[in-house]
Amino acid sequence: MSDFKVKAGLAQMLKGGVIMDVVNAEQAQIAERAGACAVMALERIPADMRASGQVCRMSDPQMIKDIMKTVSIPVMAKCRIGHFVEAQVLEALEIDYIDESEVLTPADKLLHIEKKKFKVPFVCGARNLGEALRRIDEGAAMLRTKGEAGTGDISEAVSHIALIKKQIEEVLALKTDKEIEEYAKEIRVPVESLVQLIENKGKFPVVNFAAGGVATPSDAALCMQLGCDGVFVGSGIFKSKHPEKLAKAIVNAVTHFDDPKKILEYSTDLGELMFGVAVGGLKDTEKLSSRGW
Amino acid sequence: MTRSLVVGVLALQGAFIEHIQIFEKIQSPVSYSFIEVRTEEQLHSCDALVIPGGESTAISLIAQRTSMLKPLMDFIKSEKPVWGTCAGLIFLSKQIVNGREGQKILGGMDIMVKRNAFGRQLNSFEQKLDFSTFIPGVSDFPTVFIRAPVVEMILDDSEETYNKLGEVIRSENTYQNPSKVEILHQLENGLIVAVRQGNKIGTSFHPELSDDTRFHKWFLDEFVSGK
Repeated sequence: MSDFKVKAGLAQMLKGGVIMDVVNAEQAQIAERAGACAVMALERIPADMRASGQVCRMSDPQMIKDIMKTVSIPVMAKCRIGHFVEAQVLEALEIDYIDESEVLTPADKLLHIEKKKFKVPFVCGARNLGEALRRIDEGAAMLRTKGEAGTGDISEAVSHIALIKKQIEEVLALKTDKEIEEYAKEIRVPVESLVQLIENKGKFPVVNFAAGGVATPSDAALCMQLGCDGVFVGSGIFKSKHPEKLAKAIVNAVTHFDDPKKILEYSTDLGELMFGVAVGGLKDTEKLSSRGW
Repeated sequence: MTRSLVVGVLALQGAFIEHIQIFEKIQSPVSYSFIEVRTEEQLHSCDALVIPGGESTAISLIAQRTSMLKPLMDFIKSEKPVWGTCAGLIFLSKQIVNGREGQKILGGMDIMVKRNAFGRQLNSFEQKLDFSTFIPGVSDFPTVFIRAPVVEMILDDSEETYNKLGEVIRSENTYQNPSKVEILHQLENGLIVAVRQGNKIGTSFHPELSDDTRFHKWFLDEFVSGK
């Protein structure tokens, strides 16, 4: 499909870059000046949503518009899982990318949005191969790990990356059509998706970013060394003492993710970082990553 | 034994791997090696450089912060071949009509570019273009334009015309390209999307996103090895 190249292509241009959560035009400007390759416009950063315990929805379009006017880099915004009308509104707003996000309260407990119907591209979270392939099948043009947003704890993102890697290896080791069919059934994906994955030697047709819990330059570099194409940083930056400094440091660390000496330099003297919520202390029902299916 | 020609792809941010993957598919009697360039040492080993697509502000800011701006400007001065795609075209230019504060550029080509000239992502598109006037036989090249820039103006001596435009960003590089700017391709609506000036070339679109290797092969033959 010709549309797909244009949709997935923008995500390819974001590679090796950092996408930052911002709640107003001022933060968007800080992000742009720090070298963010895109911003995610949202009303409240995940750490605050998590604390609020309220229903979280798409942000006020006025706020998103202000941000779109302020910066020249691509602007993304979130809609609720399955809420295709919020997605229509964001498309009408001419947003550059939509994140169908588990960070907001899901609107549909069975289905995600049929993303192929939209001209605007979508990014979706995935914590295992089944979720990743289902999202691609629905038309997602970019993936990210779910991690555990708003915690500053990188462990969930790391385990999502590791699990997907392990499952891809399992798929590549499948020998017969019957084995492929069974595996497809087990992870609830179309057989065709697995066949394609095997044909592509285990590579997704879309880029995969790290997200959920990135709080330091080392966190970002860790995800890059584990094979991610780029990084989303949510609460980490603007919940720290010196957002601008940290934002720049994370951008630099993603470029030089393979150079410990440089990461040492970028990690030094950043001041107080975001508070952390250890994922181990959360009940399963409190985990945002368990949303989406 | 002759050493192989080193073609670097600037890897500060963006779609640099895509360029390398396309280059590596090309069969050539000339021996090439293709490397990612993040440091001055890596840049110094290059015989030619590709500046990929990505976010032009991010690439420029990262270059400044990681002490790569000056080495890149010097690379431009060294008269080695350089090709910029999309954000790379912006970075390679002498002026930007709608740049951002703090965005510095390399000044390798006498052009003024306009960022996001087609609008936002919804206006990104794919189109086959006829490049047979400069790449023999290539009349149907699949191009992808993503939030693409265009060449707004070829800069000549008419300094006054463009001085009137308010917030133009100008390169601080003292380099002056000795050749004349040639327009390689204009869209039907007149927008300039491919230009050449001596051994520097800029394209608004992304040949690295197509599966077609012909544009990259032409760059190697025409600019790098001088076949």
